[in-house]
Amino acid sequence: MRSSYAMNFLMGIYILVFFTYLFGPLIIMSFTAFNSAEFPAITPWECFSFRWFNEGKIAYDGQHLAGLLTDWRLHDGLISSLIIGAGVVCLSVPIGMAAAIVLTQVKSQLRDIYYSISIMPVLFPGVIIGISTVVLWDRIAGLGGGGFISDVGRNGIFLTILAQTCFISTYCFLIFVARLQRFDQTQEEAALDLGASQTQVFFKILIPYLAPAIASAAVIAFLASFENYNTTVFSILSDQTLTTVIASKVRLGISPALSALALTIIALTVIAAVTYEILRRRQERKYLESQEEFVKEKAASSRVNKDYKAGFKVPKGIVALILLVIIGSYVATQIVKNDLYGNSCIEAADTLKKSKFLDQLQTLESNQLSDEDLQGGSLGGNQDYGDIFGDPTLFQDFGGFD
Amino acid sequence: MKSLFFTQPFFQKNGKSVALFFLVAIVFWFIFLVIIPQLYMLDLSFRANIPPLERGGPKDFYTLEHYRHFIFGSKTSADAYNFVDLGVFGRTILVSIFVTIANLAFCYPIAFYIAKIATPSTARLLIVSLIIPFWINELLRSFALRILFANEGVINNVLTGIGILDQGILFITYDVGLYTGLIYAYILLMMFPLYNAIESLDINQVEAAKDLGSSTFRTHWRVVIPHAKPGIVSGCTMVFMLTVGALATPVVLSSPNTLWFPQLIYQWFNLNDNWSRGSAYSIILLIVSVVFVLTMMRIFKVRIGEIIR
Amino acid sequence: MSAGVELKDVSVTFGSFFAAKNVNVKIEGGEFFSFLGPSGCGKTTLLRAISGFQDPSKGQVLIDNKDMLGIGPNKRPTSLIFQNLALFPLMTVAENIAFSLEVRGVSKSERMKRAGELLELIALEGQGDKKVHQLSGGQKQRVAIARALAVEPKVLLLDEPLSALDLKLRQRMRTELREIQKRVNITFIYITHDQGEALTMSDRIAVMNEGELEQIGPCDEVYNNPLTPFVATFVGENNPLFGNIIDVNNGEAKIETSDGNFISSIDKSTKLNVGDEAISFVRPESLFIIKNDNKFQNKFRAKIENIEFEGNVKNFYASLNSGSKIKFSVANAIDTSEIEINSQIELGFDINKSIILPKGALATE
Repeated sequence: MRSSYAMNFLMGIYILVFFTYLFGPLIIMSFTAFNSAEFPAITPWECFSFRWFNEGKIAYDGQHLAGLLTDWRLHDGLISSLIIGAGVVCLSVPIGMAAAIVLTQVKSQLRDIYYSISIMPVLFPGVIIGISTVVLWDRIAGLGGGGFISDVGRNGIFLTILAQTCFISTYCFLIFVARLQRFDQTQEEAALDLGASQTQVFFKILIPYLAPAIASAAVIAFLASFENYNTTVFSILSDQTLTTVIASKVRLGISPALSALALTIIALTVIAAVTYEILRRRQERKYLESQEEFVKEKAASSRVNKDYKAGFKVPKGIVALILLVIIGSYVATQIVKNDLYGNSCIEAADTLKKSKFLDQLQTLESNQLSDEDLQGGSLGGNQDYGDIFGDPTLFQDFGGFD
Repeated sequence: MKSLFFTQPFFQKNGKSVALFFLVAIVFWFIFLVIIPQLYMLDLSFRANIPPLERGGPKDFYTLEHYRHFIFGSKTSADAYNFVDLGVFGRTILVSIFVTIANLAFCYPIAFYIAKIATPSTARLLIVSLIIPFWINELLRSFALRILFANEGVINNVLTGIGILDQGILFITYDVGLYTGLIYAYILLMMFPLYNAIESLDINQVEAAKDLGSSTFRTHWRVVIPHAKPGIVSGCTMVFMLTVGALATPVVLSSPNTLWFPQLIYQWFNLNDNWSRGSAYSIILLIVSVVFVLTMMRIFKVRIGEIIR
Repeated sequence: MSAGVELKDVSVTFGSFFAAKNVNVKIEGGEFFSFLGPSGCGKTTLLRAISGFQDPSKGQVLIDNKDMLGIGPNKRPTSLIFQNLALFPLMTVAENIAFSLEVRGVSKSERMKRAGELLELIALEGQGDKKVHQLSGGQKQRVAIARALAVEPKVLLLDEPLSALDLKLRQRMRTELREIQKRVNITFIYITHDQGEALTMSDRIAVMNEGELEQIGPCDEVYNNPLTPFVATFVGENNPLFGNIIDVNNGEAKIETSDGNFISSIDKSTKLNVGDEAISFVRPESLFIIKNDNKFQNKFRAKIENIEFEGNVKNFYASLNSGSKIKFSVANAIDTSEIEINSQIELGFDINKSIILPKGALATE
């Protein structure tokens, strides 16, 4: 008895620690999005502001760190990501579907081999897929002489769509295989028997059955394409997607704008997930209601009601959590507003930093420095940017300051 | 062809236009997107690095030069072996193994708890909470860790602020950030196979073992783990492969002196513009991946159909 | 409009396994014809051969005197009702019924009109917009039939359609199916393992065992004059009395068993000689308890082992001196209260209510 208490207690602590490890960095990062300081931090807290979501900062030292709404590179990358995502969905969903259907028609001896080949792309490291696609099409473009082929073969968007399709088709394939496993083959036979041609069977019976799988495959394909980095970074050549923009920003200069971006993405996904869950429950409720009309035994219908009620506990929890977060942040905002919010605060901080910077310039020019000063104490040094200047790949995708 | 491969004549079963679509889609995928690029890359890795104009000309010949470089280094270097590249390669593999094992150790208790001990509503909540962080891009997650671990990062600020330390710990330079980030990155891929495998275990077996006097450790070692073997193998395989081929996290969290192997490939490709050598290194990476997967499959006698997303 | 179906020497093999062997059957247009046999006897295979899902390895399938070789299931004038019904779950009832018209390009208004007519035929007017999962078992059955009839096939094939229904519903559906068949005047080919079903509904039945056809004929003929021990024991219940022939004479034969000598009728096609091993079959309802009268030529003594009350009949299980077990039934209306377990009784049966057949395999339970 006692040992199981201790076990449960330890387990509880472990789970707490684990989830702190999972969520901690993200929560801290979310807070840094609101700190007007140039380097994401919680202490020291400069001013509470939304600047990183909006205009960013035009610096006293000549360096502009863009905020979310004004960063044209982010916008370009976003558009490219969307185009590529759409392209990948259009290719990999049909391919995955075709491969899954053919799997059901192949002789059982060949089925294992066929399945293994279909799974293969997922076992290749992403970088390999990106590289091999670029390398191949570079050759094709070279052979094609000038003109369309050579343009297409070196187009980052085109190449990325192809490279990502390679392995995302496997994801779609798996989704369709799972859905097909529960398909009642006699329906196809019934349709044939009633006079349908094979093509009609495909379009009128199989596709409607696969519709949910098509939808989820499309969503998964889009999301997988959108967040992909390893493959994209090689195949995108001179273009950029949202993820490659993020990567170059992270390497180049760490700015709270990235925290703002991350928080936005978190918020969007949470909203999307909650919406999806609400819609799903609504559909489930509708289905259960139509069943209830038909079920006569009272015992059965009360069981249905019970499940229905139990299921409701979770959304209440999530809704409560979100409410808590919103209220909490609003309250925090109110408190903080009185003290540390507003342009005045930011201007004050900036003037302070500006004067500090000018002081530093003066000190440098006057050559009255000690080694200790240079190391970073009062002068700030180069520690803010964490040794990135030592990174030889730094200016790869840079493209210059704004 | 048709009755050799299929249970029913292919074009007859599917209708002509649909069958054609299937054929085109599958051939396009397998041959054109999967096999040919890899073959071409393999071919390229054996060629000298020459500008595009000189392809097909006299300077275009087959060579093992790139692979030789990987092991022995350039001809001008004084070292017997290419310690830099080999070092990166070795480190990548060793650290990946370490990360995989650590990942497994961290995830196992949680997976067991969710699968067997937690109530259904708690389990649902925990699973959802597990998934949420992973909706965020790997880059941004690593970025969050970077904020924490940077020299002027949150952790250092707090520690120096309180006064425990005078100067910040160089987490990034000492790769602590990188290892943490790598373990963090693929938790989900270890958790779900484990969870699925443990879930199918009948809890009565565990209780029976305890009842017969087995200690907790032994119960897990002899009852739970053998049952969860497919999940463990699947999780470890996926995590190792992704870690070895990781690019996003090292880009954000590694220090310039300690590269990760894919970063090396990136350098050869984009920095030095030596596509042949980049291809050769890619092939090496590919071989490592494939060998690992096959070895895992052979040792633990697991089939290939164990990939879950 | 109906069509006749003929199977000429049809065999269906899978590797070395004969699912159907040398089957010859001629089914008339407008008939209600049943294939009866235990699971695995090949009746489903034959149905699939007729409907076009299975090509015969040998022989011909003719519908309306036309060879169906190379003609796919979607081009044959047949409709098949599957054992699991195979209704389309994503379509409404009306869409299900109208499906065969849809694939032929009939306009939507036409289709819905026809669906309405068929819904009336199966007594489900107004339910056209329901989804399949909202229907009861019996309603689903009727929708499956309506769907199959929508395009007015010449032959309707039914694969054990009633096996999933409970007893009362099954009995009602039997009558309904028969009535529908008479009304639309289509050839019905029905397969089942339930001989009660086959007997009540069909004009003629064919009994199958292990891929081969044992006997074809009208129901009463197959019941009263089985031609093989399998048919004798599969269709209805029958008591076998094993022995050897001691006399054959003009439609009757005498058999010597360890419980006595019996005379039974013999079919003119049966070839038996003195000394052959044979079985005499007597149905439970043809065994009578002998009290004072002596009108039966065949008699034997038996000891009651078990009594079973089945409602309209009382079943008695008895053992003979030799140890063989028999069963006989008495209508409930007749008073049998004096018979108890372990009672010794004498039973008798008529010559023309029993039949002698050469020794052969019986139907196993």
